[in-house]
Parts: sequence; structure tokens; C-alpha cells
Amino acid sequence: MISRKSILAVACCGVLAFGVAACGSSSDDSASGSSSSGGPLTGAGSTLLAPLMSKWQSDYSSRTGNTVTYGAIGSGGGIEQITAGTIDFGASDAPLTPDQQKAASDVLMVPWALSSTDPVYNVSGVDDGLHLDGATLAGIFLGDITTWNDPAIAKLNPGTDLPSTKITPVYRSDGSGDTYILTDYLSKVSSEWKSKVGVGTEVKFPTGVGGKGNDGVSAVLSKTDGAIAYVGAAYAQSNEFDQVAVENAAGNFEQPSLDTISAAAAAVKSVPSDNAASIVDPPKSATDAYPLASYTYALAPSNSDKADALQEFLTYAIGPGQSYGPDLLFAKLPSQILAADRATIKKIGG
Amino acid sequence: MTTETTTATPPVSALLAGKGRGIVDRFGDRALYVLTLAAALLSVAIVLGLAYKIVDEASSAFSTFGFGFLTSSDFDPVKGNFGAADFIYGTVVSSFGALLLATPISIAIALFLTELAPRSSRTAIGTLVELLAGIPSVILGLWGIIILGPFLNDHFEPILHAVLGWIPLFGGQYGLVGMFPAILILTIMTVPIVSSLTREIFATVPPTDKEGALALGATRWEMIKTVVLPYSRPGIVGAVILGLGRAVGEAIAVTQVIGNTAAIHSNIFLPADTLASKIANSYQGAATDLQISSLAYFAVILFVLSLIFNSVARLLVRSVESRSRSSG
Repeated sequence: MISRKSILAVACCGVLAFGVAACGSSSDDSASGSSSSGGPLTGAGSTLLAPLMSKWQSDYSSRTGNTVTYGAIGSGGGIEQITAGTIDFGASDAPLTPDQQKAASDVLMVPWALSSTDPVYNVSGVDDGLHLDGATLAGIFLGDITTWNDPAIAKLNPGTDLPSTKITPVYRSDGSGDTYILTDYLSKVSSEWKSKVGVGTEVKFPTGVGGKGNDGVSAVLSKTDGAIAYVGAAYAQSNEFDQVAVENAAGNFEQPSLDTISAAAAAVKSVPSDNAASIVDPPKSATDAYPLASYTYALAPSNSDKADALQEFLTYAIGPGQSYGPDLLFAKLPSQILAADRATIKKIGG
Repeated sequence: MTTETTTATPPVSALLAGKGRGIVDRFGDRALYVLTLAAALLSVAIVLGLAYKIVDEASSAFSTFGFGFLTSSDFDPVKGNFGAADFIYGTVVSSFGALLLATPISIAIALFLTELAPRSSRTAIGTLVELLAGIPSVILGLWGIIILGPFLNDHFEPILHAVLGWIPLFGGQYGLVGMFPAILILTIMTVPIVSSLTREIFATVPPTDKEGALALGATRWEMIKTVVLPYSRPGIVGAVILGLGRAVGEAIAVTQVIGNTAAIHSNIFLPADTLASKIANSYQGAATDLQISSLAYFAVILFVLSLIFNSVARLLVRSVESRSRSSG
């Protein structure tokens, strides 16, 4: 009693399912016969790294035929996923905290790019390159300094006419490595910030407005007169935001550039055993250094079952991959970091 | 075998007229019962499994903070203090604000479509209203931050502030993002639900009552006021509460326009945050286990709220339907 119509329906569904399955599997087999021992990788994390990662993805796949999938969900997300073991590698601008390291005991940190987080602003009547120092930045984000013509800002910018517009700090509402870099810097330059707010990928900002992701923050910043925010260097450059010239320990006001970021990295010669080198607020000896530079780390499990693929991708990233960095404001990794990276990459796969 | 002969032979008698039952027919009914029972049990299992999982996840936050979590205003991932009070306030204000605006609009739409619109245009307008419900929340949020936010900030809020600024609700400063755009976005999302349900309810009003009122000389408005609205009141309340359930749970659209600032203000122009929006923002990148557990605690609060709203709403809507069936 099964009607002809129902047989037809079932047959169509079967054909459709078979077709989809066939299409799905065929793409895995089409890897161009290359000399790679690795395979496809999945990663997630930092949005700061995302512009460089997308260049790596296409170049790596044309070199080796292996696909790397990356989800820019924020550094906090990268840490969480690699701890849960749902991805092959994580990417975070923030190194693992001791608690996080305990939960992800086999995860190694490999600094694979060098960039910065840039304070940017949108104030009509104020041009690019406003001078601010650490104490003033802390004051702004703490809510102590509320208008752009505040005496503290005026003192640092003697020739500039500052409007009385209200300052609206804009921060990242999601778990973000940019937040980590900024709060790391502010904790070092302001004891009030350190005790009141602290350092982290997500902190309780005393004042201001939140945006989700670098793009959310950029959207709020570009539409709010008087806003100040912090975004990854590549976003500051591509959106052409006005960037703050931050005063470093040597007393010079620097904007982020390949030279100033490299100078900050060069000032920290020793690499800690876990590779988590903090280079914000570099010492006075680094005269041209940009104070908010930072490494961004790959989080790779040492006992991963995709060890070969990981090693191959990481070696690519710190080697040929670095050539894509300069256009996106990622500086070259200094030699001491490269040496530490190579040693750490060898440890993957036991 | 006796053959039934009738003038028009319906298909069933072909079966009765001597053809035997195949194996599919004999066990078909039983199989149908089992399959549909499995589907129903699956949905029950999903709800129970979901509830169990989020309660389990929230347990460490619950043991750390207890019920004080609901009144604590602190959400500090660095210091490890978490509290839901700011977010509960944000959820309540944004949802009830949206409902305050959505209810009259929805009733008006439903009235127009059932009583007042020319019959030929009813389907078209009704479809367009329901299309609103189909717009993905992300797109509404994007539209909110790119178009609605600046429009309100530049044109609407200054006027409101100038005219009504003496009320604390509209006093103080305003900005691009805040509670007010969030309320408007939520209104846009709840209007389709409430209006389509209200339409159904208005359709159950017995025509005899309406015609009686008109025959006694009532104007259209008097008929609506004395017959349609009082009759539908419990149903409208039910529809509104269902809409409230939607507004309470909306995360993505709200998180883009509300400003993500945990705070309790009386000024609705200032940024705020809601339970759902905070979960959407922070869950993926939560730095510590306690934070994840606290966000799961948020989820438990939302789950309980939705259960309450949905149960009350369904009871009310059902009472209207049973009344109409018994009186029809």
C-alpha cells in the first residue's frame, strides 16, 4: 500500500543525501599532491592576529595544499577552546594566567607575531597624533578625566585647541587580547588602575561603552564624537583612525609603526621559560619604543595528535609567513624570540 | 465477502470490499504511535537535558554566591566577583519598555486588520507585518547601530531631552548606544508576534455580539470598545506575555545597540546591559571557571523567567480559545 509518490520522495531524499556526502568527501581528496606531512588544522582566537592569519591561510594552502580554518572569536575564546580541546591551535594576545595554564597543562605558547594595540579617537576639531601619557590614558579610562579640554590633556598638547566635548571611552565587551595589552600597560603606569581594575582579557571598566569585537568597537568609535577606544594596529591603520601618540618611558611621544614596535621588542632581550614576554611600557633605554606593543601567541598542545601539521604550520608562520606582516603593521620577530620559538616547536609531539 | 454497493463509491469501501491487509497496514498504526511518541519524548528530553546541564554548570556559582547573586551589582572578572543585579535590571527595563510600546501598536494593527481594513488588503498587510518577525536579529542589531542609533542620537533624543528632560527618565546625557535604541529594536521584534496572536484572538469574538452592538446603534469604535476588547482581554494579556518572553531572551540585536555597560540608571538614554546580551558577549571568552559558571547562572535565571512567562501566556490564551469554542 505504499504509494508511488512516497517511494519517489524517499528516493529523492536518498539521492540528495548521497550527493551531499559525495561532494563533502571529494574536497578532502583534492589536496594538490604536495610534499607536506601535515594535514588540515582548525584554530580560533585573537582578532588582532586575524588580518595576518588570513594571509597565512591562503599562502599556506597554496604552498602545501593544507587548509587552516580560523575563527576570530577573541583571545579569551581561543584560550577557552584550546583548553576544552575543541580546536587544534589557539591564538591569544594574552598569555595564559597561572590558573589557565593549570587547566590547559600541556599547552605551549609560541609567540608568532608582533604588533600593538593602539589608542584611537574620534574628536571633531582634533587632528591625528594627540599627545597622551600613561597617567592621562589611565585617567581617561578610569573616568577621572571627562572632557577633551581637561588641563591634563591640554598640558601635553600646548599648541592644540581642544574642544570641550565629553570623552566617551569605548572598550571591548568580549574577552579580548587587546583589552589585556591595554590593561597590562595601564597597570604598569598607574597604581590606581592596578588596584581598582587590574589586568585581564575582560575587566570591569569603570566608565564608558562596550562594543563586541574590534569591528563593534570601530563602529561605535566612528559614529561617536569624542570617543576614545583601543583597537589592534591593523584595524587602526585600515580604518584610518586618528591615533594617539603615547609617551614612552624615555619621554618621547610615539605612534605605532614597524620601527617603534620593533624597538619595544628589542628592549626585552630575555625570554621567559614559558615564552610569555610582556613588552608593554618598555624601559627608558628604548628611546623610540611604542609603549603598547605586544607579542601574540599561538597556543599549541604539546601532545596533540596533529603534531606534524602543527609543527609545519608554526614553522611556516614564524618563517616565510612573516613576510606578510609589515603591510599589516606586524613587525619582524627578533632573533631571541625566533630561537625560543624553534625550540618550543620541537617540543610539540613529544 | 459481502460487497457494499453504493451509488458513489468512496475509496474506503474498496479496502473493505475484500482486499486483505498487508503487513504495513497491520503494524502501521502501532509504528505510527511509536514514532510520534519518540518525537514527543525527544523534545521533552531536550528541554530536561538543557535544564539539567545549565543548572549543573551554574552550581559552582550558586554555591559561591547563593541568592545574593541576584542582588549584587558587581561583575568583575579580574577580582572574581559576579552579580546579576545590573543585568536583571537591564532585562526588565528593556523588555517592559518594549512591551509598553509594542502593545498599543500591536492591538492597533490587529484591530485594523480584523475590523477596519478593506477585506482585499488584509492578507497583504498582514503578511508584511509578519515579515518583520522573519528578519534575523543580527540584521536588526546592525541596522540599529548603523542607522537607528545615529538617527536617535542626532534627531530624536535631543528633542525628547529638551521637552521631557525634567523627568529623570530622559534627563542627563545621551549617546549613540543605550537602553533607548535597545527598547526600540525589541519593540520591532515583539510587534509581529503580539499582533498576529491578537489577530487570532479578535477573530474568535462571536460575530453575533458584534452585530448586535452595531444593530443597537453603536459606532464602530463603541462596538470595538464594548464587545471586541473586553472579550479578548485575557487573550491579549497572554499574547503580550508571549511577546515579553521573546523580548527577554533576545541577545544578539540587543548586544549591538545597548552599550554593554553594567549599570543601573534611571535615564534610559545611558548604556546598559541585559542577561541575554551579557551571555552572548562573554560566554565564549570567559577567562575563569567561576565566570563561566556565573554566566550559566544568568542562563538559569532567563530559563526560569521564560518558563513562567510562557506557561502563564499559554494558560491565558487557551482560556480564550475554550471560551470561544463553548460559546460558539
